[in-house]
Amino acid sequence: MEYNGGSVVAMVGKGCVAIASDLRLGNQALGISSNFQKIFPITDRIYLGLPGLATDVTTLKEQFRYRVNMYTIKEEREIEPEAFAHLVSSTLYERRFGPYFIEPVMAGLTKKPSGEYRPFIAASDLIGCLNFAKDFVVAGTASSKLFGVAEGLWEPDLEPEDLFETISQTLLNAVDRDAYSGWGAIVHVITPESVITRTLKGRMD
Amino acid sequence: MDHFPTNWGRPRNDAFDAYGTYPIHQRPNNVKDTFAEGVQHTQQPIVTGTSVLAIKYKDGIMMAADNLASYGSLARFRDVQRLHAVGNHTVLGASGDMSDFQYIRSLLDDLVIEEFTEQDEHTLGPAEIHEYLSQLMYARRSKLNPLWNSLLVGGYKDGKRFLAYVDLLGTTYSASTIATGYGSYIAQPLLRKAVEGREDTLTELEAQAILEESLLVLFYRDARSLDKYQIAKVTEGGVAISESMALKTSWSFAEGIRGYGAQTQ
Amino acid sequence: MAQTRSFNPYTENGGTILAISGQDFSVIAGDTRQSEGYSIQTRYAPKVFRLTDRAVLAVNGFAADGNMFVKKVKQRLEWYKHAHSKDMPLKAIARLIQTMLYAKRFFPYYVYNILGGIEEDGTGAVYSFDPVGSYEREACRAAGAAQSLVQPFLDNQIYFKNQVAAPGTTHPAHLPLPDVLSIVIDSFTSATERHIEVGDGLEVYIVLAKGRDLQDFEAIRARNVHLTQELTVTEDGERIFVMRLDLKKD
Repeated sequence: MEYNGGSVVAMVGKGCVAIASDLRLGNQALGISSNFQKIFPITDRIYLGLPGLATDVTTLKEQFRYRVNMYTIKEEREIEPEAFAHLVSSTLYERRFGPYFIEPVMAGLTKKPSGEYRPFIAASDLIGCLNFAKDFVVAGTASSKLFGVAEGLWEPDLEPEDLFETISQTLLNAVDRDAYSGWGAIVHVITPESVITRTLKGRMD
Repeated sequence: MDHFPTNWGRPRNDAFDAYGTYPIHQRPNNVKDTFAEGVQHTQQPIVTGTSVLAIKYKDGIMMAADNLASYGSLARFRDVQRLHAVGNHTVLGASGDMSDFQYIRSLLDDLVIEEFTEQDEHTLGPAEIHEYLSQLMYARRSKLNPLWNSLLVGGYKDGKRFLAYVDLLGTTYSASTIATGYGSYIAQPLLRKAVEGREDTLTELEAQAILEESLLVLFYRDARSLDKYQIAKVTEGGVAISESMALKTSWSFAEGIRGYGAQTQ
Repeated sequence: MAQTRSFNPYTENGGTILAISGQDFSVIAGDTRQSEGYSIQTRYAPKVFRLTDRAVLAVNGFAADGNMFVKKVKQRLEWYKHAHSKDMPLKAIARLIQTMLYAKRFFPYYVYNILGGIEEDGTGAVYSFDPVGSYEREACRAAGAAQSLVQPFLDNQIYFKNQVAAPGTTHPAHLPLPDVLSIVIDSFTSATERHIEVGDGLEVYIVLAKGRDLQDFEAIRARNVHLTQELTVTEDGERIFVMRLDLKKD
């Protein structure tokens, strides 16, 4: 995790979810890029964050694109977040004894039979052990800091704009205390109507 | 002879230190021990005692330990007393190296005798004994030559119960239930469940039953334990260490389990 | 002898400490759990100690070293008092602590220290130290097992990091006492939630500058009468209170 650095956090709000990451790519202590994407759209309402070894970020991003496409073709429908979480889990567990160095974080909205949307977040360790949390999930080199700030700032039933503020403050303040994360941030707030994406300025030291 | 004049002593300066309060804790020690390379330190315990358990109860504190001193996996000495009375208000229980414990006992006995000869109506209580042991254990760990024990100090003096722990690192703490060694994993949860919040109501009989039950569980699971044990209690009336007693074990459950008892096939 | 494992004179006893200073007060807090590995040794072992009527020291790390260190600091402060007929000032205590820690540079006290109290000019102060004596004066500091959880939260809530003040306004340089106490308690409940070595109990020492208006504090004190105890010795100087709260025990 410390080889390239990077952190991701996801949070549940009222009828919405948010996922955010830093933008740093490093070579240990040396910063390489301040525009490295770690969060990828999977469907219109599922986003996946892949903090960890950069080479595996690229590999897994393509792997998941392939597998989700195959799922869509076979099933003739879009994948739901729960199913996608298990796809992530089994993909990682295939490499149980020679794992990808990635700790994925997912955020999405599940379509209920009634047509309404239910917030969904999940995280996994590098060998596919899923964690379905009701509040927030964190991963990456700043995970312990993210836990501390999120535990202090998060509250239930945040509206999209308040959720944006909460996840942004959580991420920025956590990565500012982490040498391996930072150099700017990106936040996605997923609502049934749209996805709001904002790039944040952060400390560049 | 120290040949460095600066080490002989520093004159006090009345201008700023009229009452000799300025600290001169330690002068540099330039004296080399000729035999330093030949001095050996205890790097591991040899003859060891296993868990000691202790709880607070209505009338004071109660402590229990079995009578075994092991030599590795060999049950070497089966009639050893690991509970020791210190003065009239304190009991000391030891796990870890038994020869270090013997040394500690001799120090404490000397200490108690010195205190007695003063004849000043003052006796050492459990808090004082524990403080002395803490300083001793911490000083020895700081010389990288520890006394390899985990010790429990329990007592009753001036209407107050006292129960505290100190180990080879000098780590100390007090609580209403304490267990050392394997006891801290196996017996401590049982003791806490039985005692916490009931320290002032538990009777002597109940306290003894809790300790005996815990010793029994330990005897079943700790391979370095024995079914012969002693119980000490310290109350208003002073220290009382029981004679050795035997745990009532039951092995009927092993009957049908292959590998547990005698097997015909 | 072929292989002998050498004796390790250190261990780690968990727990977390925290201090925040205000304009004319200082708050120093620590949880009361003492642990080793996965075992809780006791649910009540204080990590925060009153040194003088205007200085409080929190120690965290190896408990045996911590207790010995506090004992020796108190001894030096007593010597000072006998020699000078007054308590040592806070900044002098801070320098004393640095000297005492560095004196053991090559066999360190494995302890993180945070010193809080009131400076001679009546301002609230916090000094934080590393195990070998590097120190600085700050407005707030967390240390110990949950430092990484608490410190970034404090950056945000005390220093207003990453927050922009409303147009035409600025962030306050010092927070009022009720706000600080809420942040301290929130920090510890959060740390208890996410760190296994934090919990059981919370001790919050509150040092108030000489002659400070007690109105805001009395309101808090009234709500927590049974939890708050005054430790002040002298009538006319700074006042010290300690609040004892429960934290989750799991």
